[in-house]
Amino acid sequence: MLRDIDDFLAGRIGRRELLRGGAGLALGAGLAGCGLGDSGSGSKKETEKVVKAKPDGDLVYFNWSEYLDPALIKKFEKQYGVKVRQSNFDSMSSMMAKLRSGNQYDVIFPDQSYAPRLIAANQLLKIDHDQLKNYDNIWDFFHDPKYDPGAEHTVPYGLYATGIIWNEDKISGMTESWNDLFREDAKGKIFVLDDYQEAIGMANLRNGFDLSTVDPDELDKSKQMLIDQKPLLRGYSTDDIQNLINGNAWIHHGWNGDVVNLRNQVKNPESYRFEKAKEGIPVGTDTIAIPANAQHPGTALLFLDFMMDPENASQNVAYFGYPMAVKGAEDAFAKIAKEDPAVQITLDDVTNGQQYAYLTGEDKALWDRTWTEVKAA
Amino acid sequence: MSEQRFATTLLLPGGLWLLLLFAVPLGLVLAASLGSTDDLGNTVYGWHPENYRQAFDPLFLPVLLRSVGFAFATVALCLLIGYPVAYYIARYGGRWKHMLIALVVLPFFVNYLVRTYAWVALLADEGLVNGAITNLGIRDTGITFLNTSFAVVGGLVYGYLAFMILPIYAAIDRMDQALVEAGKDLYGTPWNTFRHVTWPATFQGVLAGCVLVFLPSVGDFISAQLLGGPSTYMIGNLIQQQFLGADNWPFGAALTAILMAFLSIWMVLYLRSAARASREAAL
Repeated sequence: MLRDIDDFLAGRIGRRELLRGGAGLALGAGLAGCGLGDSGSGSKKETEKVVKAKPDGDLVYFNWSEYLDPALIKKFEKQYGVKVRQSNFDSMSSMMAKLRSGNQYDVIFPDQSYAPRLIAANQLLKIDHDQLKNYDNIWDFFHDPKYDPGAEHTVPYGLYATGIIWNEDKISGMTESWNDLFREDAKGKIFVLDDYQEAIGMANLRNGFDLSTVDPDELDKSKQMLIDQKPLLRGYSTDDIQNLINGNAWIHHGWNGDVVNLRNQVKNPESYRFEKAKEGIPVGTDTIAIPANAQHPGTALLFLDFMMDPENASQNVAYFGYPMAVKGAEDAFAKIAKEDPAVQITLDDVTNGQQYAYLTGEDKALWDRTWTEVKAA
Repeated sequence: MSEQRFATTLLLPGGLWLLLLFAVPLGLVLAASLGSTDDLGNTVYGWHPENYRQAFDPLFLPVLLRSVGFAFATVALCLLIGYPVAYYIARYGGRWKHMLIALVVLPFFVNYLVRTYAWVALLADEGLVNGAITNLGIRDTGITFLNTSFAVVGGLVYGYLAFMILPIYAAIDRMDQALVEAGKDLYGTPWNTFRHVTWPATFQGVLAGCVLVFLPSVGDFISAQLLGGPSTYMIGNLIQQQFLGADNWPFGAALTAILMAFLSIWMVLYLRSAARASREAAL
C-alpha cells in the first residue's frame, strides 16, 4: 500500500509539488494500515559487503522533491539502461521514519546531522572509492568531513543556507533579520518551515541563543516565541517553492537554492528574493548515501559517480540552485551567485557557520517535545 | 450440522485476514505504546506507562476538543448535504439509480490524499477559483480559502460524504413506499409525513452514516495537514508527528490507543442503539 501511493504520486501524477508533502503523508497512511515494523540497527558486516559499480537493477531513489534535475534522471536511465523509481520525503525525520519502517532504497539524501545517525546505526553501505571514477573530483575538504570521517559512507550533495524568501511584488522593506518572519503587515501570509530543527533553530537564533542549544530554559523561551508567532502565520510547510508560486506566501522561511529553482518556474523571476538573517543562519551539507539494505547497490554506485561528474553536477546546480562540492561545477554556481549575491554560500560559510548538532537521548527528546508543544498549542 | 460447519469454514479467510492485518498490528501498536526509544529513534519494547501519562497532559486537550469539534461539524454538514442526495437517488433515481450511486462512489477511485492536493491547487490564493473570482470582477481581491478551519472541515466533508450517503440511501431504498402513501392518506403534509414517517423509518441509516463519518473524521490528519493552518492541528496530526517528525513511536502509539478507546465509546453507543432498534422492529 505504501509503495503504491508513492509510485502513484511519483510516476503518474508527475506534479512535483505533490511530492514534498505527499511522501510523508503517504507514509502516515501506510503506517495506519500496516502497523509497526521494526528494522532497528543493521549489522556492521552488512555495511562492508563488496559492491562493484555496475548496473544490478532499477534505481530506487528517495530524495526531497524538486531537488535534482529531472533531465539528469532521464539521462542516467538512458546511459545505464535502468529505470529510476522515484519517491520523495518532506523532512529528514520522515526519511528516517521510512527507513525505520523497513523500506528499501538504493540512494538517499541525508544531511550532515542525520548522516552520523545512520552511520552509527550501520545503516549506510561503505563506499569503495575505487568504484567511483569521479571521486577525485570531489572537493578535497569533503574527502574527510566531520560528519563522515574519511567520506566512507557518503558523497556531498548540495551546500545550503536557511534564510527568508519573499515576493517583492507583495511586500517590501525587508530587514535581513528573522524579525521579518514576525511582520504584522504580512499577517496570514507568512510560512515557517515545517521542520523541527529549522523552526526551533530560527527562534534560537532570533533569541540570540546557540543554534543547537539544549538548555531547557532557552528552549522554553524559543517555544514561547514560536507559539506567539502563530497568529501571524499562514502555516508550517517545507514546500516554500509552491507556496510562494501559488500566492499563499509572501514571506517564507526557506532555503537559498529554492529561490533560484523557483525563479526558473515563474514569469517574474526578479520578484522573488532571498535574504540571510543578521542574527545568524543555519548552514549545512546534504549528502548522497546508499543504505546498507539497498537491493541494487551497483546501480547506486553508478548514480553517485554520475552525480559527481562535473558536467552533470553543473547542469544540476543550474537547475536546483545550490553549489555542489564538485571540481568543475564551481562556475555554474558562480554564475547564479553573481546574478544574486544573496544566495551565495561558500565552503567557508559551511565550515565556519552554525550547523544543527547531532542530538541524542534526552536532548533530542527535548527538541521533539518542544516542537510537538508548538504545533499543538 | 455439516451445513453449519461449512458456514464456519467460510469464515476462515476473513478471520485470518482480520487476525493478520488487524489484530496483529493492533497488538504491535499496544506493545509499542508501552515502549521507549533508543538514540536512533528505534522503538524498544518494554514497560513504560508514562507514555500514557504524557498523553493526558492538559496541553493536548485543546487538540482533542478541536478534532471532535471538526468531526461534529463534518457530520452535520454531511447529513445536511447527504440526506437530500440519498433521498433523491432512492426515490427519483429511476433507471439512473445505480448510475448515480456509482457516481457517488467514483471519487474513491482516486486516493483521498491526491484529491485533497487538487483542492490545494484549486483554492490557493492565486489558484483557479480565486483567479476566476478576480477575473470575472466578482471581487477585487481573492478569498483566503486555504489554511483555515473552514477548509479543514470542507476537506473532511468532501472526503467522507459518501459514507453518509450510502447507508441513508440503503435505508430509504429499503423503506416501504406504502408508508409514505399511508401518511398522505391520513392528510399528513409533506413535512409531517417526512417527520413522522420517513425520518423515523430511515433513522438507523442516518445513525450509521453519522458514525461512519465521525470515526474517520476525528482521526483524520490529511485534511488539516494540507488545507489547515498553524492552529488547526488535529489529534491525527499529533499522532502523525510522533511517527514521522518526532521519532517517538511509543508516544504516538499511546495516543493512538487512547483515541481508539475514545472512538470505541461512540461505536458501542451506536451498536446498542442499532440493537435496540432491531429488537423493536422484531416486536
